[in-house]
Amino acid sequence: MDTMFVSLAVILTGGALALLFARQFTLMKVATIATTSAGCLLGLVYSLSNLLGNTGTIEQSWHWLHIFTLAFKVDSIALFFLVPIFTVAPLALVYSYHYMNDKLKATRTAVNYFFFAVLVASMAMVVTASNIITFLLAWEIMSLSSFFLVVFDYQVKENRQAGYLYFIFAQGGAMILFAAFAILYRYTGSFDFDTFATIPESIKLLVFILAFLGFGSKAGIFPLHIWLPKAHPAAPSHISAIMSGVMIKMGIYGIFRIYLLLQASTPLIGEIVLMTGMVTGVLGVVYALAKQDIKQLLAYSSVENIGIILIGLGIGMIGVSEQNQTMAFFGFAGAFLHVFNHSIFKSLLFMGAGAVLHKAKSKNIDQLGGLMKRMPVTGRTFLAGSIAISGLPPFSGFIGEFLIYYGAFHGISNHRVPFILAILAIVSLAVIGGLAAACFTKVVGLAFLGEPRTDNAAQATEAGSSMTMIMILLATACLVIGVVPEPFIRLAFAGIKDIPHISGYDTQSFLLIVRHIAQTGAIFIGLLLLISLFRKMLYIKKKIDSGPTWGCGFTQPTVRMQYTGTSYAAEMIDFYRPFVPVKKIYTGITRIFPGKTTWNTTVEDVAEINFQQRLIQPLLKILGKLRWIQHGKIQLYIAYIVLAMIILLLFIAVP
Amino acid sequence: MESIFSFCFAILIAPLLPAVIQKVKAYFGGRQGPPLLINYYTMAKLFKKGSVYSTSTTFVFRLGPVVGCATSVMMLLFFPLAGIAPLFSFHGDVLILFYLMGLGRFFTILAALDTASPFEGMGAAREAFFSTLAEATVFGILILFFRITGSLSFADFFAGTQSLAITGAYGAQLILVIVALYIVMLTENSRVPVDDPATHLELTMIHEVMILDHSGPDLALIELGAWFKLLFYSAFLSMLLNPFQLENVWLNGLLFYAVVTFIYMTIGTVESITARYKMNMVPKFILTPFVLVFFATILTMELIK
Repeated sequence: MDTMFVSLAVILTGGALALLFARQFTLMKVATIATTSAGCLLGLVYSLSNLLGNTGTIEQSWHWLHIFTLAFKVDSIALFFLVPIFTVAPLALVYSYHYMNDKLKATRTAVNYFFFAVLVASMAMVVTASNIITFLLAWEIMSLSSFFLVVFDYQVKENRQAGYLYFIFAQGGAMILFAAFAILYRYTGSFDFDTFATIPESIKLLVFILAFLGFGSKAGIFPLHIWLPKAHPAAPSHISAIMSGVMIKMGIYGIFRIYLLLQASTPLIGEIVLMTGMVTGVLGVVYALAKQDIKQLLAYSSVENIGIILIGLGIGMIGVSEQNQTMAFFGFAGAFLHVFNHSIFKSLLFMGAGAVLHKAKSKNIDQLGGLMKRMPVTGRTFLAGSIAISGLPPFSGFIGEFLIYYGAFHGISNHRVPFILAILAIVSLAVIGGLAAACFTKVVGLAFLGEPRTDNAAQATEAGSSMTMIMILLATACLVIGVVPEPFIRLAFAGIKDIPHISGYDTQSFLLIVRHIAQTGAIFIGLLLLISLFRKMLYIKKKIDSGPTWGCGFTQPTVRMQYTGTSYAAEMIDFYRPFVPVKKIYTGITRIFPGKTTWNTTVEDVAEINFQQRLIQPLLKILGKLRWIQHGKIQLYIAYIVLAMIILLLFIAVP
Repeated sequence: MESIFSFCFAILIAPLLPAVIQKVKAYFGGRQGPPLLINYYTMAKLFKKGSVYSTSTTFVFRLGPVVGCATSVMMLLFFPLAGIAPLFSFHGDVLILFYLMGLGRFFTILAALDTASPFEGMGAAREAFFSTLAEATVFGILILFFRITGSLSFADFFAGTQSLAITGAYGAQLILVIVALYIVMLTENSRVPVDDPATHLELTMIHEVMILDHSGPDLALIELGAWFKLLFYSAFLSMLLNPFQLENVWLNGLLFYAVVTFIYMTIGTVESITARYKMNMVPKFILTPFVLVFFATILTMELIK
């Protein structure tokens, strides 16, 4: 435990160094990146060694401000969630060395590094906190520091708006969390997490739903995801990487932790989680398919992956309530492994998108193209990340999904509700997989392959060495996890070993299957090499010409005739139309000799529209009538405060 | 030994069988049709040729055919052809295999988009769309088979006591599955009424248009992959259709390939007597088998006893 606090101290020192050396740009970057990364590596060593070693739970607490206790507790679940935090953070930092290269923004960059360190430390505290005060403190620090990271380019109006939206969702979610914890405190009279199980059974469901909403707004469950596709394009790419790869998983951690602490017996909890997961997953990927902005697309794809993780958790929870150990074990293990895998490939993809944005000056698929030739490393690593995120073997994404499938298949029983839910889970995982492949063939095929659609894309060059190095590392990790899955599956198994319902589950027979999967991957790669060799042999001493793409007889093709992201996805989007409204603006042809006309389509988020129409507008109407309270006179504001305190004092019953 | 022989035989015979489809179509059209060995000749011809590559393309374009062919061979490696134990098999192999097929499709689509041709983009978009729909049905079938056999491997589906046989306890459900799988086969292998492998109007095609720019040995690999895939699906159907497991391996193999040939003939018949659907009809057609399979799965719940 002390090691972890040392590592947090080092990380925060790294952040402070950034502020200290703000004037020397390069020195500042080197100092803060080196120190913070060193802290993270120390933390990673700590969490991995404790996770794989056989240490039990460790607790530690301090008194703070005389009345509060800051309590920390490390069990296998906390340790497992520490792994992605401490893995992705140093990689994102090294990547940022070439990414954050605007010397004019030196101060701002320093502040950015400071908040980055604060974010990493606060996330580590979130997963290790063991009472309400500590948890909420860390949670709020995490939300606030990430808010400052998002509004890095605050001069751009859209970025500010995105930042505010994120702020509202973070604080709105926190408010609901406070409500959930307040109810818990009301019943237990204690801040300690371990007392939660003692509250009456009837309250547990309410508390869980509140916590689910609160944590869900951070994780990005549908329909509380709308901040994600706004905040990610606004934030710098390495910030998107850590937020999407790691921070939103804190929401998942919260949901899972509260589930474990409550120990509710109602099967409804698992059913809610599973169904939310299916809706989130399918709609997330459909919206991802519909978007042309790469970073927005990746944000929606994060929503999708949160859906997959929730499907895994839901399967696990239903397994617990059905007392089906196989189902429970593999649901949880799959969700955990997917948390880790997603942090790897989503970081990779966001970093690739960042490199594209830097060099090709656009993140819109319809303005890119042909980047594979101009940015070979970015292109190849992005391809690897795309295969992984589509869940295709022999890359990492498949392994996590395989565990979830395995759990879901073994959950097919004779009980009606779990039966239907398990079937739906399997089918939606299959549909998500297919759509994700469609979505990422779109990004790779249209942004990286084909011909460049703009001059900027044609003049793009490879990104800086610190960026490409990290992307190569992450892409290799995606392949290694897929080809040699056993150590990583063991890691996930180690992560769930402290869950009471499934401890002692025998994994030997499954590890045999894992070895078979690894073997299948090896056979496939061998076959691939064999056929490539055969192909090479066929081409020996053959005439190989090159010429333009065959235009089916058309003699003057232009790059603008290529399929675009919009046209690629059009048919699929149309299929899901009630959930994915497409707004069309067409000025039409009015005169006999038609003038200039425009045609514009945008895919709108059904959640956003409904939020606006059903919640924000009525709320504004009502609150508008109360505007007179806000008059700008300071003395009256002070009177409000005094009044509020008096009223609150009346409520606090003195025992 | 039997397994290796069976696998090699399947690889060798795969190009022969599609000629049966062409023969049947020729018969319906009152023509003589190409010789049965036509595809071997085509192979030899393509292998001898060189290639022309578009200047737009990258290594992905060259990788596409190799991945596509390798994934199809994987299916045959794991499938118990004629009931003979496959070379490899484990609990859960169906999941990885159908996902590997997805990988093949992933690269075929990318190779098509790599050419920067609008036609191939169109084909790629359709391929991506229709395959997401077909995927749901495939997994529906896997759920049902898991219900019946408690296994997730091709070898176990057709072995053991509770094997899938049309004469068995779940025969009624299997009929639904066979219809569903037949439609999936037509979809995944780009046959009429989803796609028309014979047409030469680019706008109406899906699979053929995606491979317009491939030539020589690359094209040969794509064709080989397509034949292996078709053989896999018809072998799957054949194992479901044929309830007899004969003692003699040779006779059993003969019977198995007779049923496979019959399935190829039905494909030819379907292609002769129906036209391909309009594009907007295709999604409805592909979703039909999903409903069938879902209904079959519900039937296994034994709500009425």
